[in-house]
Amino acid sequence: MPTELPYAAEAESSLGYEELQVLRTQYYKEIEQGHVTTQSKFNYGWGLVKSNTAELQTEGVKLLQEIYSASPAHRRECTYYIAVGYYKLKNYAYAKKFNDLLLSVEPENMQAQSLRTLIDQAVQRDGYIGMGLIAGAAAVTGLIVAGLVKRSRR
Amino acid sequence: MSSTNQPNLNLKLLLIGNSSVGKSSLLLRFTDNEFLTDEETAATIGVDFKVKSIELDGKRYKLSVWDTAGQERFRTLTSSYYRGAQGVVLVYDVSSRPTFDELLKWFKEIDTYCGEGVVKMMVGNKVDKEFSRQVTTDEGKAFAQRMGALFIECSAKTRLGVPEAFEELVRRILANPILYSKSSATAARKAEPIRLEEETWTGGGCSC
Repeated sequence: MPTELPYAAEAESSLGYEELQVLRTQYYKEIEQGHVTTQSKFNYGWGLVKSNTAELQTEGVKLLQEIYSASPAHRRECTYYIAVGYYKLKNYAYAKKFNDLLLSVEPENMQAQSLRTLIDQAVQRDGYIGMGLIAGAAAVTGLIVAGLVKRSRR
Repeated sequence: MSSTNQPNLNLKLLLIGNSSVGKSSLLLRFTDNEFLTDEETAATIGVDFKVKSIELDGKRYKLSVWDTAGQERFRTLTSSYYRGAQGVVLVYDVSSRPTFDELLKWFKEIDTYCGEGVVKMMVGNKVDKEFSRQVTTDEGKAFAQRMGALFIECSAKTRLGVPEAFEELVRRILANPILYSKSSATAARKAEPIRLEEETWTGGGCSC
């Protein structure tokens, strides 16, 4: 019996308000204490990406992009969630860019494969660029992409 | 051919356990009857998800199976997925003693995040590696009994025991109507949805 359509769980399920609040509180507590761990920042960024408003999702993508640049050890999951974030923001060009990056390293990654299907379907439905181009996020991404190009030249 | 006069019952299942015990492989074997070699698989990022319809005793059920990353760094994130689960599959690798020893930790997570009555199934995977087995069947069985969990050994590689594990779990869920008669969003919710522990914040060294 075949399964249903591929499904990137993170693209659809969202986090409850209190759940996000726990992650936010931890993140800001660490900011106040003067030392933010990558893990708290990542958790909060993840929670934001999984939220239901474009404003929070944009903030989440921004945090994850900062981690992406600063912490190579977290690059893999950041790449994936940045792609998910851009997908939810309907910025399919960037979603595809980051997801393809992950696929170039892990062609067999089924989560990335299923996200690719979702992106492709959305592109067909909504058009390539979509409505969600957010000022600021684009600038940050420019930097990241430049970093990636450099990295791939090595 | 499915009966149209009664809606499918949706059940939420969750796969947990240490990294590399074969959670995603079990799921892939169960849903798509496929198996990927080590080189072809990637460690799950956060959470993955598959849906499978099964027919059991003449009725159809839609299973949503959530596959969580075993890596420590995702522990805080994956905890939010326990919400509403009616069944949890705790997976260990029979050829890896530490993955068995740490099951206690996973049982504690279930107690923290799941509602009472959630059905627990302990699965010893990789019995195809009999030659390097480190946990005996009797040992697994005894521990499962002590923890009030169902128990089965299986191999995602050969398919041995895999459908049986899920079917048995579903049967036990169906035997307890409290688990699926309430709305799944509230059925198993507890006050504190995400627990933050110091150990969660160390990040760990593995980036796989």
